[in-house]
Formats: sequence, C-alpha cells, structure tokens
Amino acid sequence: MAETQNVYEIPIGPIHPALKEPIRFTFQVEGERIRGVDIRAGFAHRGIEFMAMKRNLIQTLYLSERICGICSISHPITITLAVERAAGIEVPPRAQYLRVIYSELERIHSHLLWAGVAAHELGFDTLLHLTWKVREQVLDLLEELSGNRIDYALPIYGGVRRDVSPEQTPKVEAMVRYYRGLLDELLDAFLRDPSVEARTRDVGILTSEEADSLCAVGPTARASGLSKDVRQDRPYLVYGELGVKAITPRDYGLEPRGDVYDKAVVRLLEVAQSLDLIETCLYEMPEGEITSFPKVPALLAYLKKVEGEGLGWHEAPRGEVIHYIRLEAGVEEPIVWKVKAPTYSNLMSWVPMFRDQEVADIPIIAASIDPCMCCMDRVHVVRDGSPATVLKEDLLRLSRAKTERMVGGSRLSASGPRSTAHGRRTTDNGQRTPDHGGGL
Amino acid sequence: MTADQVTRALTAAVPGLQPELRPRSVGVRTPVEVPELWVDVPREGLVPAVAALKAAGPLHISVISGRDTGEGIELLYHFTVGYGTPGGEVTVTLRVTVSKSDPVLPSICGLLPGAETAEREKIEFLGVEFTGIPSTAHVFLPDDFPGYPWRKDDPETAKLVNRLVEWEGKNG
Repeated sequence: MAETQNVYEIPIGPIHPALKEPIRFTFQVEGERIRGVDIRAGFAHRGIEFMAMKRNLIQTLYLSERICGICSISHPITITLAVERAAGIEVPPRAQYLRVIYSELERIHSHLLWAGVAAHELGFDTLLHLTWKVREQVLDLLEELSGNRIDYALPIYGGVRRDVSPEQTPKVEAMVRYYRGLLDELLDAFLRDPSVEARTRDVGILTSEEADSLCAVGPTARASGLSKDVRQDRPYLVYGELGVKAITPRDYGLEPRGDVYDKAVVRLLEVAQSLDLIETCLYEMPEGEITSFPKVPALLAYLKKVEGEGLGWHEAPRGEVIHYIRLEAGVEEPIVWKVKAPTYSNLMSWVPMFRDQEVADIPIIAASIDPCMCCMDRVHVVRDGSPATVLKEDLLRLSRAKTERMVGGSRLSASGPRSTAHGRRTTDNGQRTPDHGGGL
Repeated sequence: MTADQVTRALTAAVPGLQPELRPRSVGVRTPVEVPELWVDVPREGLVPAVAALKAAGPLHISVISGRDTGEGIELLYHFTVGYGTPGGEVTVTLRVTVSKSDPVLPSICGLLPGAETAEREKIEFLGVEFTGIPSTAHVFLPDDFPGYPWRKDDPETAKLVNRLVEWEGKNG
C-alpha cells in the first residue's frame, strides 16, 4: 500500500447493503481508488465443528446440511464420502449416479442464484428478476425429488435416501429441455450485453499466478485460466467416468483475464455442463439398491464400532469442499470433523482482486467469488401491489400443500409460479392472506 | 503425477519418512485407483517436505485439520500434488504432532501463501503458534474470545458452553 497522506480507511460491513452476508472489509482508499484491504470473517460463525463433537454421526449429517443453505447437497455428500472412507462402506452404483444428479441440480440453482445476485450488484435488477424467475424451475424439480427447496436430506452414509422414480424421469428431462432452450438467452443477457460488459470487463482481476499461489478453487480459479476442477482431477463417485472437463473462458473462445466477466462466463457454461451430466446419468444409471444400509439403527450401530479416519472431497458450485473425519470405536460422536468450504480457500483471492479498483465496484467484486449466501425469503408476499405478511405456521402449511400438489399430480408444468387464479381470504384484522402456495 | 513419484520426492527431502499409500477404488463401470498418501512428519521435516511436494508438481493446500490428542496437538496438512492434472492429482496428508508445552511450528506461508487462512484458524482454535506467519490476527473468533475451542482441556470453552446451555434454557 502506498504510504501517502491521502489514504483513508473505509469500513464496509459486517452489515452493509453491498453485502448479502456478514463480513468486514476495511478498505484503504485514495480518492476513488482502493489501495489495500483487510478482511475479517467470522460474523456468522456458529461453531458447527464443535457442535458435532457432541452429536452422533446421523445428527452430524443433518448438521452438515445446515452449514450452507445453498450447498445443502455438497456438504452432506462430502461428509458421507469421508465417513464411508473411514468406515469402509460401499455405495451401490445407482446411488453414486443419483448423488451426481442431485449435485448437478444444486450447481444449476446455485449458479443461477449467483448470476441474479451479480446482475443486482451491477444495478441491473430486471436481469436479477429474470434469472431468479427461471431458477424456480430447478428448485421446483428439487422439491419434487426431495420434498424441499433447500435442505434436501438426500445423502446418507452408504447411499441416498430417495430414488428418481420412473414417473419423475420425464420431469427431469423437461427441466433439462427448459434450460437448454433458455441458455442462449441467458448468455445473450449476460455476456453479449454492452452495459454488463462495461461493468465487468477488467474489473476485479485475479491473475492465474495469484490464483495458483493463493490456492483459489472453483469458478474463481477457472476464470483465471486454471483448468482445475475436483470432478476432473481427483475422481470420486462416477465423475471420472463421465469425462468432466474443467471449464475456462477458453471454452467460450476467450483468453482468460480473470475478471468478473470471465467468472460469469465460467458459471453460465457450467450450467450447460451440468445439464449434460444430469442427462447422461439419467440414461446410464443402472437399476438397483440406493443404499447399503436401509435401516438407520443398523447403520448407527455399525458406525459406533468403526475406528479410522477418512477424507471426502467434492466440487461444490463454488469450488472444492473437503471434509476430514476421525472416528473411534465405542464413541458415537466424531472425534474430529474438519469442514473446508470453498469460500475459505477463496478468501485470500479478494486481496489482489480489490487492488487499484474503484470504490463503486466493491459490490460486484465482492460478489464475484460467489461468497456463500442464503437468501430464500419466502415470507413477505407482494401480490397485486398489496403486501401481506405470512406467518411461519402459514408458510409451513403452504409449503407442504405445494409439495403435495407437485408430488401428487402432474401439475408441475400447468401450475407454475404464474398461477395466480386462486382466491384470497381476508383475516379478521383486515390482513389479506393468500390461501394457497402456488404463487409463492 | 503418481504416488510413487511423490513418495520418492518426500523420502529424498526428509530421510526416514514412511509414506503410507491408501488407494481408493473409484467408479462403477471402469473403476480406477485414486492414490492417497498419509505420512507422519517430524516438526523439523515439515518445511522440507512441503518444499519437496511443491517441487514435485503444482501444489494446493485444501486445509489443515487438527485435534487435541491429550498429550499433544496433532495437525494434518491436506495437500494435493499435481493440482489441475486431469485424473492425476495425488492427495497427500502430512501429520505433524507437537507437544502442548511447546506448540510451535514453522509456517509454510513462505512456500504456499494460500495456507495463511488455515494456519491462522489453528492459532485460534488449538492455541498453536507458527513462526514466520505474515499475520496472527483472528479470522473467525472474536479477538477477546477466551480459550481455544478444540482443546479438550480448555476450561474457558467449557464455561462458555455451559453459559450458552443455561441461556438457551431460559430463552428457548
């Protein structure tokens, strides 16, 4: 940092409109230029690894799902891989394919979420709303397959808890077709738009040397031209056989510059890659069992006798997730459970990315690594211009009703998020409350 | 990159090391063996071992895990060597144990700047020290956090947990 008298410090965060989750940046600025940054995390630290030391492995699995609202498949998959490794548990082939399908569905919804956030940080809210509207399709499918929009409770040690039934297969195919048809429009809106390009080209650059030495992971590293993808480099599940290739801006015919634009390129192309993977898995998936331990008490009893340690790794939407677990015989709780999420590895990358950038670009640079966010606001509803507050109990009832409708009938395509023809009722205090969940 | 090459690099840099190969079979139709090396390293061998790994291929540190073993503190450095080689990364875990009376290790940030967050986290959670680390500021816990949460013999953390349980009982 240049030692001049014109350098001032500006704190951004922990709570700030430019940030979606709490973190504190202290910027040293000279005029409009950022000269240095100090980053402080930990404002959402909940001590989850510590909590696991007091819980059995099944409880720890559910805990792992709550590390992140978006990666609620990535973390359970990684901990199951680590525990299966420590305990020598085999996973049936069909379950391995199902895990890949669920992971790729999560990647699609996470990347679309990021694209919307990025548009918002650029001040392009029309694009935010468009992106998040189309994202509903994959969330609806996840709800159809698991019963939930987030926190799916799908992986279990030894397999998965739910299969994709023959009746659900056409719905998965319909989703793949839907996004394939949309992809060009999305690429148009993000990559061929002059205003988006003006705001993101050569902004927040991370060079390939910096990405390498700072151990950056995921789309953040790939946008800098590093061809690194855990699915490609360190095979697990059936990814090795699916022939996954790390996507860099070169796949879009561009020489990587490591800026925000390149990060958008990588994430949008990865949506197309995930669609291909889902389709391949759907057709190649063999019939058979989906778990090697159908009964949870038997699983718990087995795990209690295990002595050993293991590593699990996975390419989450934001990059490499790694879990280390150590189990001791006769103890139900893990002795050590270390979780490393992608943002942990990408934290240091912010420092070179912010250097010599403009203050006005702080929001989009901060968002460009896709720091893990969870913004599933389903509580406040605005319909026909009038806001109505839905209580938690109503919300739960509405959510369940919606899931039942989706799983029960084939109305997924007929009654999408646009079906607003249902009635409303007025409560005693004059508050209008929607009496169905279709419009949420 | 093969496990053999990494083993040779490690044993040449730090004589006496005995890397243990724990391959895992991955895949359904055409299974492949994914190599994983685990090796105990004395404290003074850590920096030479990491330097050897770095010389062997593009080096990536995933994270450092750690635990209180009672007498000492065990740190596990999880690396991948050959980072970015399709189907060719070797996962290497270096296990270093230090005593509680002298919980000091050399920092590896000079070789791998990306290790800083992981090292700083261990200072907060296990009370170890790293010589030569660029910054020792807390990353996750408040600056005035009492004790080290992953130490089993830490009375401050036990007190904190009891206070929380009590508070939850009143407000839950």
